Amino acid sequence: MQQHNLTITARHQPVVLERLLQVTRYRGFNVVGMTMFPVSELDQLTIELSVVSDKSVDNLKNQLLKIIDIEQIKVEDQALQKFMA
Amino acid sequence: MTGAELTLQILQQHGVDSVFGYPGGAIMPLYDAIYDSPIKHFLCRHEQGAAFAAVGYARASKRVGVCLATSGPGATNLITGLADAMSDSVPVVAITGQVPTVAMGSDAFQEVDIIGLSLAVTKHCVQVMNVEDIPAAIEEAISIALSGRMGPVLIDIPKDIQVAETQVRGSGPINSSAPTAVDSYHNLAIEQAKTLIRQAKKPILYVGGGVGMANAVSELRDFCQFTKIPSVSTLKGLGTVAADDEYYLGMLGMHGTKAANYAVQKCDLLIAVGARFDDRVTGKLKEFASNAKVIHFDIDQAEVNKRRLVDVALLGDLKVNLPATAVTSDIAPWQQYCQRMITDFAWQYDHPGEKIFAPSLLNKLSQLMPDNTVVTTDVGQHQMWTAQHMAFAQPENFLSSGGQGAMGFGLPAAIGAQISRPNDTVIAVSGDGSFMMNVQELATLKRFGIPVKIVLIDNARLGMVRQWQQLFFEERYSETDLSDNPDFVMLAQAFDIKAQVITTKQQVDAALKEMLAHDGPYLLQVRIDELDNVWPLVPPNAANEAMIESVK
Repeated sequence: MQQHNLTITARHQPVVLERLLQVTRYRGFNVVGMTMFPVSELDQLTIELSVVSDKSVDNLKNQLLKIIDIEQIKVEDQALQKFMA
Repeated sequence: MTGAELTLQILQQHGVDSVFGYPGGAIMPLYDAIYDSPIKHFLCRHEQGAAFAAVGYARASKRVGVCLATSGPGATNLITGLADAMSDSVPVVAITGQVPTVAMGSDAFQEVDIIGLSLAVTKHCVQVMNVEDIPAAIEEAISIALSGRMGPVLIDIPKDIQVAETQVRGSGPINSSAPTAVDSYHNLAIEQAKTLIRQAKKPILYVGGGVGMANAVSELRDFCQFTKIPSVSTLKGLGTVAADDEYYLGMLGMHGTKAANYAVQKCDLLIAVGARFDDRVTGKLKEFASNAKVIHFDIDQAEVNKRRLVDVALLGDLKVNLPATAVTSDIAPWQQYCQRMITDFAWQYDHPGEKIFAPSLLNKLSQLMPDNTVVTTDVGQHQMWTAQHMAFAQPENFLSSGGQGAMGFGLPAAIGAQISRPNDTVIAVSGDGSFMMNVQELATLKRFGIPVKIVLIDNARLGMVRQWQQLFFEERYSETDLSDNPDFVMLAQAFDIKAQVITTKQQVDAALKEMLAHDGPYLLQVRIDELDNVWPLVPPNAANEAMIESVK
């Protein structure tokens, strides 16, 4: 089991936290820490999420990036811009 | 203008002319607005039927499908249809009524947290809490449903928001975005893909449902014609490769053709196009095409490396990426090998006795039906026989619940398909188990005179489960005997639907012709032997070359 720390930027929408946690659980990751704070001037949320799993964190990141209200995810120091189709 | 009227106006501005649904308390203001709206509403007889009809409408026409339901049980009944749309990437917008905002969160009558329930089965969902937000919510829902990897979006509108007056109006239809620019990383991937294709001695093109959804069927066919790489198809990809393509090996996977499965297992390069390495395709994953390098074309980054690590990933528009990678290679011996398998393992339709052989009947139907026919299926043996023995001119002409395998899909999906393509023949191939799951939609056929033809393959069993019980559960036939089925002909006639039952081979030709020539809806019940099985079959947890073709 490996721990991964994700820093997530999201639109400040009511459903986004539930979606984040639902996808995280469904894809096989356990949440071991979570901090959330609004960035009020941008109508955004910053969420720091620590998860453990033996699965690939890249796959989780790609699944989470499909959530419409999630704008960006950084896994530790590795940044990845949302793929725009 | 009320929120309800505005909702319909925005839908109309975005080209929605037909919706499927069922009224109820919390959606009554919207239904009141429908009374005066030019949008045609098709009353289904269960919200699940409405959701599947919206899926059938969307898949057959490549436009967004819309379904409506009230709060509580109306909304929960949509869930299976949304799950199907999520798994099969179908652009559906579901609009649900919700209890008034003052009652929300109080366990009110017919209140359910549909937003919470829909999280796992929608691409996106939104609850509209101000009437001014309606235009943006609907426009965004349609745009999200249709963009990238398509999927279902749910909009929940409380009753008081539907009633509220507003001056706000929609901004009109959204222009579809231009193809994505190609960056330098992408160019590198294209060069890598071309190198792999040039070097391959035994390449296979593995074609999924994503090609049709990307409107890239002609690009894919051009790619096949130019490269002459032998191809296989998933269930959802059927109709994409031209049926007469000389290097087309058929469907792969659990009930795939021998030629397709053997070729994929032997290939040295697997080119996946809009496909996702589903477990019904791969069999035992570790042994799936285990000597092959993999190129994966997809629109969804999360599909890359999800089940199979790939050598090159090409994300984005297939209409751009397929032509960009078309190169020829020296594969003549492999082409000959594949062609020999196509001949050697061609389907055999000779069958002893008087009883009807479903594969043969479906193949005959495929020959008799017009080219533009839409065929839907339910789930089970008849579904696999249809996939194996019928040919489709385009992928939007074959609608089957792929990812979810949802029984009850066939009839309502056929209704939606027929509404979207009124001039084309629509045939629902069903089984006696699946048919009963949304049998109430016969009332929808009757109400609107929808001329769907139903071919009911009847073995008086839950045939696919029975087959597995025979093969893998020591012939312990638990709860799969349906020999107490209703009289299906009488049942159809109760809905003013012409029907007949056939039991012998000699009746097949005339019955199929009569059905196809009939003006309105028609039900053809086809009695078959309950011991008929779907072959070949890859047993669970086996590699695809371990197909079995008979009961041991």
